Amino acid sequence: MIDALAEWFTARGWSPFPFQREVWHAYLAGESGLVHAATGTGKTLAAWLGPIAEWIAEGRPVSSAPRRQSYVPLRVLWITPLRALAADTAAALQAPLASLAPEWSIETRTGDTSSAARARQSRRLPTALLTTPESLTILLSRPESLELMRDLRLIVVDEWHELMGTKRGVQTELALARLRAIRPTLRTWGLSATLGNLGEALDTLLGTGAATRSRIVKGETPKQITVDALLPPVIERFPWAGHLGRGMAEPVAAALEHAESSIVFTNTRRQTEEWYRSLLDIRPDWAGLIALHHGSLDRSTREWVEQALRDGRLKCVVATSSLDLGVDFSPVDRVVQIGSSKSVGRLVQRAGRSGHRPGAESRITCAPTNVLELIDLAAARDAVEADEVESRRPVERPLDVLVQHLVTVALGTGFRAEDLRAEVQRTRAFAKLTDEEWQWAIEFVASGGGALGAYPEYARVVRQEDGDYRVESDTIAKRHRLSIGTIVSDGQIAVTYQRGKPIGMVDEVFISRLKPGDRFTLAGKTLEFIRVREMQAWVRRASTSQVTVTSPWSGTRLPISGALAARIRARLDEASRGVFRGPEMNALKPVLAVQQRWSRIPAADEVLIERVRTREGHHLYVYPFEGRLVHEGLAALVAYRLSRFKPISFSIATNDYGFSLLSAEPAPIEANVMFSVEDLADDLLAALNATEMARRQFREIARVAGLIFPGIPRSGKTARQLQASSNLFFDVFQKHDPGNLLVAQAYREVMERQLESARLARTLERLSRARVAITDPPRTTPFGFPLLVDRTRDRVSSETLADRVRRMQLALERAAG
Amino acid sequence: MSLEVQVAGETLVLFPERAAWWAAARTLLVADPHFGKASTFRSLGIPVPRGTTSDALERLDALLRRVDVRRILFLGDFLHARRGRSARTLGAVAQWRATHPGIAMTIVRGNHDREAGDVPGVGIEAVDAPLVETPFAFRHVPATDESGYVVAGHLHPGADLVGAGRQHVRLSCFWFGSRSAVLPAFGDFTGLWPITPDPGDRVFVIAGGEVVERVAR
Repeated sequence: MIDALAEWFTARGWSPFPFQREVWHAYLAGESGLVHAATGTGKTLAAWLGPIAEWIAEGRPVSSAPRRQSYVPLRVLWITPLRALAADTAAALQAPLASLAPEWSIETRTGDTSSAARARQSRRLPTALLTTPESLTILLSRPESLELMRDLRLIVVDEWHELMGTKRGVQTELALARLRAIRPTLRTWGLSATLGNLGEALDTLLGTGAATRSRIVKGETPKQITVDALLPPVIERFPWAGHLGRGMAEPVAAALEHAESSIVFTNTRRQTEEWYRSLLDIRPDWAGLIALHHGSLDRSTREWVEQALRDGRLKCVVATSSLDLGVDFSPVDRVVQIGSSKSVGRLVQRAGRSGHRPGAESRITCAPTNVLELIDLAAARDAVEADEVESRRPVERPLDVLVQHLVTVALGTGFRAEDLRAEVQRTRAFAKLTDEEWQWAIEFVASGGGALGAYPEYARVVRQEDGDYRVESDTIAKRHRLSIGTIVSDGQIAVTYQRGKPIGMVDEVFISRLKPGDRFTLAGKTLEFIRVREMQAWVRRASTSQVTVTSPWSGTRLPISGALAARIRARLDEASRGVFRGPEMNALKPVLAVQQRWSRIPAADEVLIERVRTREGHHLYVYPFEGRLVHEGLAALVAYRLSRFKPISFSIATNDYGFSLLSAEPAPIEANVMFSVEDLADDLLAALNATEMARRQFREIARVAGLIFPGIPRSGKTARQLQASSNLFFDVFQKHDPGNLLVAQAYREVMERQLESARLARTLERLSRARVAITDPPRTTPFGFPLLVDRTRDRVSSETLADRVRRMQLALERAAG
Repeated sequence: MSLEVQVAGETLVLFPERAAWWAAARTLLVADPHFGKASTFRSLGIPVPRGTTSDALERLDALLRRVDVRRILFLGDFLHARRGRSARTLGAVAQWRATHPGIAMTIVRGNHDREAGDVPGVGIEAVDAPLVETPFAFRHVPATDESGYVVAGHLHPGADLVGAGRQHVRLSCFWFGSRSAVLPAFGDFTGLWPITPDPGDRVFVIAGGEVVERVAR
């Protein structure tokens, strides 16, 4: 039967890769597995053709319904992390069907699917269904859908590396466990980019109770990847964070000049808008030939850009990670990365967008946005050449996701506590679930939570007389289906022209600060704000391109990965010994010379601390070079520990290289206490309480656990009566139910994920052994300048200045009093 | 620590317990207690722990021990919703009412009260806004009123502060404008709405048991 597949390849002048044959054979032998390879090397066909061959071998069975065409019932579920990918993937899967399996049907089911299509799917599912984790979970909440899955053979999880390490990944694990309970011989194949922990990725995908054997299949040898850099024309002494960007517009444009089709990747939506404008400013004749793409643009705009890129009609698209995945853009022959890629995996992924054909070479050209980023580039190339890739850590026991799942299953088939517990514990995420946690979760959905006692008025899930747990209320069922999912974003509001044409989405908080007449950029256009009505922001094209307010999004900045951070420290260690390898480090030499003269370049076994006095006060700069998240935790910890020596207030700034503490009085430097590994857990908790980190994390948990709801249109009075922010819940739980496990989870998540406490502990371990080099530079050094500038900007931002000053004044008074 | 403020020729004392005291009339002003809000949530399948109602009543009792109150004026949203009229919540309120026979209690009805209904039979009277007692006009919604300086609730006002370490705090506050004042929401489980005061307005935030005035530069 493999022959039929091979013939299909031959007919196209191709021949199957050995790894594709391996996956087909393994699948037909009943195995599950994980295929890892760079994008564009044939993973899709490896997973897809196995079940077709199986069906051919079974004699091409079809079902027939009375008075209807015969059809092949659902055999394959294909899970994709981005609904934007579903349509493209469906087209790719469709290609071989005409000659191999014309009786098969393929449909998608995502948040974008029409209600008519969804209604049809509730009666009959296609042979292969493409869906997202959220839409799959909604199917599980409908008993009739589970009935239609009796012939399911294979679940493919596409881009598994994107899902693993997130709560959506856990949601997927739980859904897989559910389906395996219904179909024990079900096979699961994950498709993934290369990860540092493939074994763990496979285990997480399959869980512990999988009835099938499994294997990891390595795809085609990685494509040749070239990483080069555009060197800034003038090396400024002071790397002004983000500001080298403008000066780099010309070199970037020049690099794009000879490309047929290119993608310029940025790290934030805001940068995307800025770079699109900069490029048009210096190359006005490119109008119509370049476009921009990010997640906040209207869907029709995004789809148009994707299609134009695929057809080779665009010279260049400026994009965020919204174009990182999936979609095949064969015409793209040039990829530019603006700023640091922050991780090796991401650099490789983005490089793979060029030469999107097996065997072709990939090249990525990096344009630094501040001169220090040249170190990142050199370090990233080191890592690529050493074939080093980051790992993704799976999420452990997120009780908010479990609580959501319990309601989902109660809605679907209903459950018996002991059976569902066994099923849930077959996932890797909940393998170590404790009795206490399970009991708590059940009580949370059935009676309102253990410590709270039973509320007679409370009934999300109701235990039936036969012992089954079910959802009885239609209101609760409806609300639950609408709120399924684990992606939590700030409230988003649609931006629309007066005539009704949608442009995109921006943060609600941003809009609430606007006054009529304010101008901002979205989709590369300058827009003038008119008013908010009917939950939409109405705008018109502005008569001038001058904007009055910036950044409609509160973007989270990605931290550099541990692997990249280690490479950066190695490059600095070389520089401290006077070794400058490669064009980037040589370009950076004058800047590093200033750093050396005024202060020091830290060697591998050193940690550098700088004390600088400015008009603002006393700055303490610390440079662990470990990435922003670790520095956030470390800065809070160090500030807390130093504040115990004397009463003092710090203002904190962090970036990927280090952090700064600013105070009115000189800070006591007690290096052995600052970096001590003793009492880490207690001190970190105290530092956490001093900041708002746990409270912020609780937002996501409250939403996933169904305490707060995303805006549900036309829900009327009930929704108004249910208005409460996660902050309120956090306060009420802390005060009246301190044992609440969701609050405990907030602390755990901040510790483990946000602050990467394991990495933090390793960093402290390193710092506590390091030689502490304290310098007193005459003024802010090149290393310190981005921190100085960053913090300054945070205080003196344009539009809300008056507001900010008022608040800060009050804050100062309180501190003084 | 409480704080005195002169407004419309009268003295109001602002308590960090989120209530104001009109000494001349021996009247305690309380806005937006939203009794039964937690119970409303529970009835719709969202687990909110017990204790918010009894907590609020205890806070009121503490105030009543400190000042010689003749009357409590609730500036609207006494009850949160009809769904929240659980026997337990209404019972707690009635019981609390009975322990203060010498104090008159009046609700100036607010938007929530219209849906949730009054609390008849326990000695808490309800009237429609405005309740004019010169120089004040007591209302729920802080619209301007020709008949006097408006004292209202409804907004759940919160003032934003930025502190060291780039922290952001939003604190419950009293907000006095030229023609109206807004009191903080008394209820615990109520949330804050960020205010944008006009120049000349006075804002008093409740910061850890103290009422602190925000001074304009």
